[in-house]
Amino acid sequence: MAAMFGGIVGQEPENTRYDAQISVFGSKLQNKLEQAKIFMVGSGALGCEFLKNLALMGISCSQNGKLTVTDDDVIEKSNLSRQFLFRDWNIGQPKSTVAATAAMAINPKLHVEALQNRASPETENVFNDAFWENLDAVVNALDNVTARMYIDSRCVYFQKPLLESGTLGAKCNAQMVIPHLTENYGASRDPPEKQAPMCTVHSFPHNIDHCLTWARSEFEGLLEKTPTEVNGFLSNPSVYVAAARTAGDAQARDQLERVIECLHGDKCETFQDCITWARLKFEDYFSNRVKQLTYTFPEDSMTSSGAPFWSAPKRFPRPLEFSSTDPSQLNFILAASILRAETFGIPIPDWAKTRNKVAAEAVDKVIVPEFQPKQGVKIVTDEKATSISSASVDDAGVIEELITKLEQISKTLPPGFHMNPIQFEKDDDTNFHMDVIAGFANMRARNYSIPEVDKLKAKFIAGRIIPAIATATAMATGLVCLELYKVLAGGHKVEDYRNTFANLAIPLFSIAEPVPPKTIKHKDLSWTVWDRWTVTGNITLRELLEWLKEKGLNAYSISCGTSLLYNSMFPRHKERLDRKVADVAREVAKMEVPSYRRHLDVVVACEDDDDNDVDIPLVSVYFR
Amino acid sequence: GGGGAEEEELTAQETALYDRQIRVWGVDAQKRLSKAHVLVCGVNGTTIEFCKNIVLAGVGSLSLMDDHIVTEDDLNSNFLIPHDESVYGGKSRAEVCCESLKDFNPMVRVAVAKGDPSLIDGTFIDRFDIIVLSRASLKTKLFINDNCRKRSKHIAFYSVDCKDSCGEIFVDLQNHSYLQKKPGGEPEQQELKYPSLQYYNLNRIDCIYIWFVSIQEAISVPWKDLSKKTTKLYYAMRVLESYESSEGRDPGETSLSDLPAVLALRKDMCDRMSLDESRIPTSLLERLLAAGKKEHPPVCAILGGILGQEVIKSISCKGDPIKNFFYYDAADGKGAMEDIPPTPED
Repeated sequence: MAAMFGGIVGQEPENTRYDAQISVFGSKLQNKLEQAKIFMVGSGALGCEFLKNLALMGISCSQNGKLTVTDDDVIEKSNLSRQFLFRDWNIGQPKSTVAATAAMAINPKLHVEALQNRASPETENVFNDAFWENLDAVVNALDNVTARMYIDSRCVYFQKPLLESGTLGAKCNAQMVIPHLTENYGASRDPPEKQAPMCTVHSFPHNIDHCLTWARSEFEGLLEKTPTEVNGFLSNPSVYVAAARTAGDAQARDQLERVIECLHGDKCETFQDCITWARLKFEDYFSNRVKQLTYTFPEDSMTSSGAPFWSAPKRFPRPLEFSSTDPSQLNFILAASILRAETFGIPIPDWAKTRNKVAAEAVDKVIVPEFQPKQGVKIVTDEKATSISSASVDDAGVIEELITKLEQISKTLPPGFHMNPIQFEKDDDTNFHMDVIAGFANMRARNYSIPEVDKLKAKFIAGRIIPAIATATAMATGLVCLELYKVLAGGHKVEDYRNTFANLAIPLFSIAEPVPPKTIKHKDLSWTVWDRWTVTGNITLRELLEWLKEKGLNAYSISCGTSLLYNSMFPRHKERLDRKVADVAREVAKMEVPSYRRHLDVVVACEDDDDNDVDIPLVSVYFR
Repeated sequence: GGGGAEEEELTAQETALYDRQIRVWGVDAQKRLSKAHVLVCGVNGTTIEFCKNIVLAGVGSLSLMDDHIVTEDDLNSNFLIPHDESVYGGKSRAEVCCESLKDFNPMVRVAVAKGDPSLIDGTFIDRFDIIVLSRASLKTKLFINDNCRKRSKHIAFYSVDCKDSCGEIFVDLQNHSYLQKKPGGEPEQQELKYPSLQYYNLNRIDCIYIWFVSIQEAISVPWKDLSKKTTKLYYAMRVLESYESSEGRDPGETSLSDLPAVLALRKDMCDRMSLDESRIPTSLLERLLAAGKKEHPPVCAILGGILGQEVIKSISCKGDPIKNFFYYDAADGKGAMEDIPPTPED
């Protein structure tokens, strides 16, 4: 097993703070640790624990070493139960800078740079080639799979070790990704959580999850997106209108309709207007739409294959009858009115927040028109549909009419008119956001006879909250830091590393060696996800194909980024064969290779002589 | 823990701060935590990790007992002590660490308990629900554990030690009853996918009763009666414990020069208790002796995390506790639980 901890170097203590480590693995390795160049992605719960460990271990704690930590998030109250480098007075400040400062207090020699960029394809000008090439290791301190997959792909590309860890409640895990030794993070992921189909969320929910997804989506649409669209139009009407014309589709039409509704039909000038809006929205969502749905698809209706339409898991909905004596209904109307008022900058009367008789009377004052369901209304039932907007034949024409109407309306608006979009903030219990979302979800659940949930549970689901505790977080980072010694020491074999899974609730502690990467073989060649093939010279596409042919591979498609440079299926691509790869990339893929980079990468799809697909590594063409 | 949770609700401030962890262990557990009083005797890298965790979790109070004046050596694995002699000079470990810990959670009362653990009396320990002892002599461990068991109040006892990159945790909860979710799928997964299935479906929860033994009883079990799979760390710790005891050394006050005497003691103990000497590798004893009081920060974090969760489980009476020893060794990365004496299979 690893020679890391199992013996002693027998070195005399040097009376430094690192004596424990020096006596076990010597001052030469300690120096290496101090000069390490590490990229830590994320500065939240895991990040704080890592910074503390790294400061104590002396990693990147010298002028030659460097720890770069990045996180685009700011500190909020609920962070403080784990993220112990932050204090109450740091709320609102960037996590990375506060954490870095606190870590330097633990070890003033820590050489750390704190950034606020989200590590993603959009920040590759910040985290550029030179930055990546200079790293010794990358430490993930993330809370979502998307970011992890992105960092994994960068580490594979630049051939850098990645130390990954995560927690979920009392569970934690640590996973080592070492170039050429182990599989990468993306190699074995759980299948992604299946997202409910759009039509389920929109018309056929059968559990509270669907209702909450819908509720969050309506919240964002009504209170954030539409006001943002309104402001977009008002700040530059001609640009906005031109964009709508260019799009010319059902979505653009829907958006215009909503902006007009906001500025004309449903425009609010007083708080009573907001109450009216909320009451009518209630009627629309929880009564009228249900009546329309069950009119279009009555309880006994059949599908085209002769089966009952409303069979499980579909639940047959019933419309709600509003009553101001029902506290949950009244609360919902008031909360929604308050947020509506906020978007229009209308002052909120005190009685709205205390919900008493005055409030109930105000709601009862609203005149609610009778509703009659109509024939021929299209309702999307296809599970594969990705949009709810039903395209119609003449979207472009309708859009023109809407644009004209919008321009007329804008002339009637007072000068300086604008709206205040609301961004969903789940953790502020006084802002009414969760009241509205939970209200939306529970009323909908009531329609479909789905059990309702309390605000706490609603917040958990709608806010996509991950339950988290300090103990599991501390443990995860301890496990990773033990592996980090091995990474920075270098020269360890795959069996020396440890992936760990632990569950402090049980308690369960389980370790395993990391899995080697999958090897692909072709004739006498073999490679893994870590390999890249290099071709030097400013070659042509034809020369590239020939180079691959020599390996017994018949390339039929070459792409760069998201653009196709060459495909054997397209006759006109034959013209490109004698042109330089770099030139075609520049022209077709708009690939401008910066001056500090001498190569570009292409993805080549190949077959062997038996017409079997062969998954080959990325090919780097060093054309400069 | 003591009496059941009372009727008062958590304050808005507590709900906001503890939101993420309440979703793990529930409101009832959080209320119990806020009424729990913890004493930690012995301030070092591992125990301050533990302290960080339980202060963040929101225990009622934490008292630290360690009168040793801070020296430079103490800074190595202890992130609570600032590297500034003008700040820590002349103060005790407990004093300096208390100041830092207070900042982590203003709702927890963090205080210094002056005194010597080997001299504390019964009425003193009655103030606490949980006592954690670290780097204490065998005599002190036995003394305090015995005192805990004699009180009419139920006091949970833990000892934790980290030498080099190895750790030992001992747990004595005396009579302990707690709730355990019945196996059968992953309850948390189900809650995430079908949150309408409220998890307080009482059919899925058992109430378990278990009994723990004292340290005295545990370490008195003859080695020949232990399972062949018992980890070598258990034996190694007992040999060192015995050595320090008979030589009158402070815990961790050892070095490689003690090796010959320790090997002789190993032979003696193995002969007496019929254990093959090869079960306690010389290399392991070397490591532990050479380490003295040195701890590796990542191992402190691991042990502090495990111990933190154990204490939270026992206060909240939810979840299987470690019964009754836990060992960690970074050399092989293994964590192992030992039940000593072994519970007879029914």
